[in-house]
Amino acid sequence: MSALAVHARALSKAYDGRVAVDGVDFDVRAGECFGFLGPNGAGKTTTMKMIYGLAAIGGGTLEVLGRDVARERRQVKARLGVVPQDDNLDRELTVRENLIVQASYFGLSGRAADSSAREALGFAHLEDRADSGIQELSGGMRRRLLIARALVNRPELVVLDEPTTGLDPQARQTAWATLERLRGEGVTLLLTTHYMEEAARLCDRLVIMDFGRIVAEGSPAELTARYRQPHLEAVFLHLTGHGLDGYGRARLEALGERS
Amino acid sequence: MIPLPSLSAALRVWRRDLRVFSKIWRGALLPLFFDPLFYLVALGFGLGTYLATINGVPYREFIAPGLCGSAVMWAASFEVAWNAYFKMEESRLYDSVLATPIEVEDLVLGEVLWAGTRAIIYGTTFLVVITLFGLVESWWAIALPPFLLLGGLCFATIGLAYTSLIPKMDYYTFYFTLFITPMFLFGGIFFPYDRLPDWAQAVAWFTPLYHLVAIARDLATSPDVLTVAGNGAWLAAVTLVAFVVPVRGMRRRLVA
Repeated sequence: MSALAVHARALSKAYDGRVAVDGVDFDVRAGECFGFLGPNGAGKTTTMKMIYGLAAIGGGTLEVLGRDVARERRQVKARLGVVPQDDNLDRELTVRENLIVQASYFGLSGRAADSSAREALGFAHLEDRADSGIQELSGGMRRRLLIARALVNRPELVVLDEPTTGLDPQARQTAWATLERLRGEGVTLLLTTHYMEEAARLCDRLVIMDFGRIVAEGSPAELTARYRQPHLEAVFLHLTGHGLDGYGRARLEALGERS
Repeated sequence: MIPLPSLSAALRVWRRDLRVFSKIWRGALLPLFFDPLFYLVALGFGLGTYLATINGVPYREFIAPGLCGSAVMWAASFEVAWNAYFKMEESRLYDSVLATPIEVEDLVLGEVLWAGTRAIIYGTTFLVVITLFGLVESWWAIALPPFLLLGGLCFATIGLAYTSLIPKMDYYTFYFTLFITPMFLFGGIFFPYDRLPDWAQAVAWFTPLYHLVAIARDLATSPDVLTVAGNGAWLAAVTLVAFVVPVRGMRRRLVA
């Protein structure tokens, strides 16, 4: 078994001639939390979708958990957990049923499905909402349920696309704590975000993506040191600040000197 | 060609739909069930009293079995129209399903099987009703439910193909106004085809309801086994060939 959870070489993808991912190379090690940082439209989501099978691979190679995604998508998906950017919970089912049905998609049924649903509920602290409808949940609870749903098959790798976008600060803290516990259990995490604070807190290593390309790679500390910037946010704006308006430029100046 | 779907994966999708249906069946069952009943009462018992027999059969007895076929058509079509479109484009439920080991071909088979299941529920319930009304004269009618399922699968596949190709929900107006309703009115339920011009009979032969109604009427009266088998084979062949379309359409749409 490879010690790499994800191995991508010259990975690319175009939609109707528009290049979304433009030949990226990256490796995610088993057990780490790896981040994709970048502005909207940088190609992060497309990269994630290729990993979890919702976008066909345009070019290059992509191995996930030691398997070629292009040829063994079903087998790869069986070992993944996916937290999508948008809430696509099953609104016709209760919280518990969402988890049981999700478990059934992985071939778990009866008692096995019930117990994995119960475990996931507990992990996301949603036990007392088990029989609620999705509409009754707050945004933070829905996000926790999305995370719980990604865990029912006990995945080796969990892919999270902007796991805390749109959450209030308190709900975000709770989500982070949930992800940190998950990482503590040895699950590999791969997440996209445009919150520097999130990347700095959760990620062991990260890449900064812009216009479909990877423009920098390293740990949060390495990146701030390499680009001689005070924070990850300054590194980010330094590398991707091509389209900054006046406010953004002023903010960049305030954050640190350009190297 | 498309990859062969996995039946076990498709049944997981089917079971999810069954679970949802088991919560809402009272509200869902009634309207679609009353629909053919109203047609039977209005046309069979109302209009029918002013009509002579058709080919020696009282009018209400003539239309009753065909209405089992239309109940199947409406039930299957509704399920794969707005319901499926909503799951595909609005709630994005299909995205979450496809991020699990379930592939597009399994999802399509599961949804088609589910729509077929709803269709057989409605069609068979109506068959029981017309039997209680004394409008079924042959014991062969017991063999009808499997054909109602087959018809349901055929309508579901065609409807899901349409769903997989349209850019927005408004396009169902065309589907129902130009395809489903004309089949309902001209598919042989309300008047026999043998008096119509050849071209009309030829057009009818290309529509699924025509074959399903023919099977239902045959089995409710005195069936010719070969004719029933021929009509059944038509439905099965069209279902199998058409199955490729929603798989390709949804693949392009959801996992391109």
